[in-house]
Amino acid sequence: MANSSGSGGKSAARLKRRNETKMITRQPVMLISIIAVIVLLLLFVVYPLVKVLIFSLTDETGAFSLATAAEIFSTSRYLKTFGRTIVLGLIVAVIATFIGYVFAYAITRTNVPCKGFLKTIATLPILSPPFILCLSIIFLFGRQGLITNTLFGITDNNVYGMGSLIVVQVLSFFPIAYMTLSGILSSIDASVEDAACNMGASRWHTFWTVTFPLSLPGIISGCLLVFIQSLEDFSNPATIGGDFTTLSVEVYQTITGSYDMQKGSVLALLMLVPTMIAYLLNKYWVNKKSFVTVTGKPTQARKLIDEPHIKWPLFIFCMAVAAVIILFYGTVVFGSFVTTWGYNYTLTLDQYGRALQQGWDSLRNSIVLGLVAALIGGLLGMVIAYITAKRDYYGKRFIEVSSVLMFAVPGTVLGIAYILAFNTPPLVLTGTAAILVIVFVFRNMPVAIESGTTTLLQIDNAIEEASTVLGAGSGYSFRRISLPMLRNAFFSGLVYSFVKAITAVSAIIFLVSPRWDLVTSKIYTLFDQAKYSQAAAFVTMMVVVLLVFIGIFNALINLLLAPRSRVPKGAGIHEKTEETT
Amino acid sequence: MKQKRLLALLLTLVMVIGLTACGGGDDEAASGGGEGSGEEASGSNELTVYTAFPEAEVAYYFNAFEEATGIKVNALRLSAGEMLTRVAAEKDNPQAALMFGGSTDNYIAASNQGLLEAYQSPELSNTPENYLDPDGVWNPIYVGAIAFACNRDWFADKGYEYPTSWDELLDPKYENMVIMAHPATSGTAYTVLATLIQLKGEDAVWDYLKELDKNMSQYTKSGSAAPNGVALGEAAIALTFSHDGLQPTVEGYPIELSFPTDGTGYEVGAMALIKGGPADEQENAKKFIDFMCSAEGQNLYAENNSFRVPTNSEATPAEGLVTLDSVAVIDYDAVWAADNKDEFVAQFEANIASSENLE
Repeated sequence: MANSSGSGGKSAARLKRRNETKMITRQPVMLISIIAVIVLLLLFVVYPLVKVLIFSLTDETGAFSLATAAEIFSTSRYLKTFGRTIVLGLIVAVIATFIGYVFAYAITRTNVPCKGFLKTIATLPILSPPFILCLSIIFLFGRQGLITNTLFGITDNNVYGMGSLIVVQVLSFFPIAYMTLSGILSSIDASVEDAACNMGASRWHTFWTVTFPLSLPGIISGCLLVFIQSLEDFSNPATIGGDFTTLSVEVYQTITGSYDMQKGSVLALLMLVPTMIAYLLNKYWVNKKSFVTVTGKPTQARKLIDEPHIKWPLFIFCMAVAAVIILFYGTVVFGSFVTTWGYNYTLTLDQYGRALQQGWDSLRNSIVLGLVAALIGGLLGMVIAYITAKRDYYGKRFIEVSSVLMFAVPGTVLGIAYILAFNTPPLVLTGTAAILVIVFVFRNMPVAIESGTTTLLQIDNAIEEASTVLGAGSGYSFRRISLPMLRNAFFSGLVYSFVKAITAVSAIIFLVSPRWDLVTSKIYTLFDQAKYSQAAAFVTMMVVVLLVFIGIFNALINLLLAPRSRVPKGAGIHEKTEETT
Repeated sequence: MKQKRLLALLLTLVMVIGLTACGGGDDEAASGGGEGSGEEASGSNELTVYTAFPEAEVAYYFNAFEEATGIKVNALRLSAGEMLTRVAAEKDNPQAALMFGGSTDNYIAASNQGLLEAYQSPELSNTPENYLDPDGVWNPIYVGAIAFACNRDWFADKGYEYPTSWDELLDPKYENMVIMAHPATSGTAYTVLATLIQLKGEDAVWDYLKELDKNMSQYTKSGSAAPNGVALGEAAIALTFSHDGLQPTVEGYPIELSFPTDGTGYEVGAMALIKGGPADEQENAKKFIDFMCSAEGQNLYAENNSFRVPTNSEATPAEGLVTLDSVAVIDYDAVWAADNKDEFVAQFEANIASSENLE
């Protein structure tokens, strides 16, 4: 089962690395990919971050100084904020991953009804700028809330704080866990579980001894991704956190409120610590347990669980989550049709007219840049997953670590890092569309990389080796063997990048320009001016646009990357993907 | 199957073409964004502006300016703090010629960091001296007093009168119903804090604020979140500037203002040239400053629901708008406030709203 990397310990690993490095130098496509990826990461990840690091560790005269850092570490307020941010991240990560797992399991393993609906629900929350959920929670549960006040007559419910923040973050981020986990669960070879069942293990026993351990890398990845998202989330804690401050808000406040960019940068770098720990744990602890179940040997299609006592509780749980999501989004859609949200509920279509008139350009910009970024990011993510998942060579660790760094940097700092790095020669990018595309690509790519890597780890090397033995080059093997297997991972990566590009808030605030203004900064402004209904109209339009594009992606990927028809049915990837969303 | 593949290929092709088209856009923007490119070099008729004004409002000024001069304004809307951060980060190669709007708090900070180019419009001759920048860098264009922005419906429902003094805010009947932004993050809230320090003295003010804290629903992160909270009924009284407090009424929210009779502070809004901005836009930027400092420019405040009070004494304020003559304004010292900001905010955090004694 294990893809043994030698029992001789460190020296063997080193030897293997040296040998593989040598081998790679003889594979031109592979070599060029690796070099290109390293150059890109150096330029667009390392360089801007080094700029911020230098900036945060020098005083006004340009001399090295740790004064700011020392000040932060001696202020108990910052340390407490730091602690609370971590606690929040852990709580959200656990709950969100649990919900994501239940959804992924119900959809891939059981015969629950309405799968298409559940799939849509499980991806819906990442389709809109997060602060819209905050608004829903205020309208539903605030002092004047539709539920608290109108329904129950409660007038003093304080909706701001950690509780609401957990709800909003879980709802916003569980789709990431779902997407990672459904990719993994559907690529676990059905015969493994069936074997357990055939030998008389109960469903429960099979789950705990086979399915769960096999999906553990996905669970940890899911937790990691959600944890990082929660950590760097800015718009939710800023809107609904009330007096509960997180580190990312502290960073933003320090920079834009106290005009102290230096202290803000130091605080931001502090945020990288837990993220990097989480990441390294995942990489070197979880991934060591290499699970290979896609062996390339023909297997039959999965038999879905149909027992009522398993199916229905899962279904009810999913439907309950779905109901909450629909309630929240329904509130937003409803809000887009009223005159003054929260005050005058006369129905009207004016909001859409005004939104289109004022925001069409920025909406189009967002779509175009998001598409470009998603395609580049999705492909680059697959390439990086491919060149890092199975091989070992000098420089691999650099690629692994630097490619996820951007994911963890708070958006505000990312924006500033990019201004510091690309506003002066040699490479001037500020004010262009390119800078936005680049930020989107490198910031959102880690999801593609993670889901690509976890999928690849389950594919036996023998498959590709067979292809190579038969005379295929590494590029050809990648395209014809790994890429089709990576279909789900590529799709998640693509969808995630596109959606995040269109819904990004804090990362782009410092990078949009008069020519390239984006729709989220427009919505952000509308919030500022209490034009909630118009903001709701914008968000509703965005969700529609995103759903349409996701439908197109889904159809395209199924058509282009589906396993060839002469492959017997049931080999490779078993999940029957509905082509309609 | 084959047909399906063909279709997919076609769709991909369409996407790629779409992308290439956009790539073209990239280059265009890249050359436009760089240091004053070819076609614009000789007397551009464009102007690039960072503004802290609401988008709908600012479009009104730009259109009027374009009509008068033929100069087209390209603007990006940011919050005042973001605008300053952005200008600071871009200082080696500024992308915009002008900072437009936002309180002098930001402009004093920007000026101290050496980000601004001194320019005083000749149109400032009708502006009272206490609004002017003693260092002659930025140009005042509007004022607004700190007000109590009250939710009309809540007060009608309870049968209360609007509060008219700072001490009335301490009344237990307002428990959890007062809202203001956090002085560390909002220029508005800092002006409130500095006003209270000026009114009550540097020692007594903290006792007052501790009392007020009992009625405070929360210290919001952004300045506008306070009046918006009142608009949505999350609080009954917001401590904010008059023009910001009235902003939600444009959408129909029930907000009315009252002013403290025992003295209130005010903000002066400003605009200034960014040092080292696009060279070909400098003349246009000055023209726009002159335009906004003139009576003609400031008369626009009355036409577009801005609720701003003109600084130019020749300009006519909007009908029904409370101007500073009818409010008990104190002699607010903006420079003193800006110079002591770090210390006062630190004290506020230590005494009142540190994260330790919250939750």
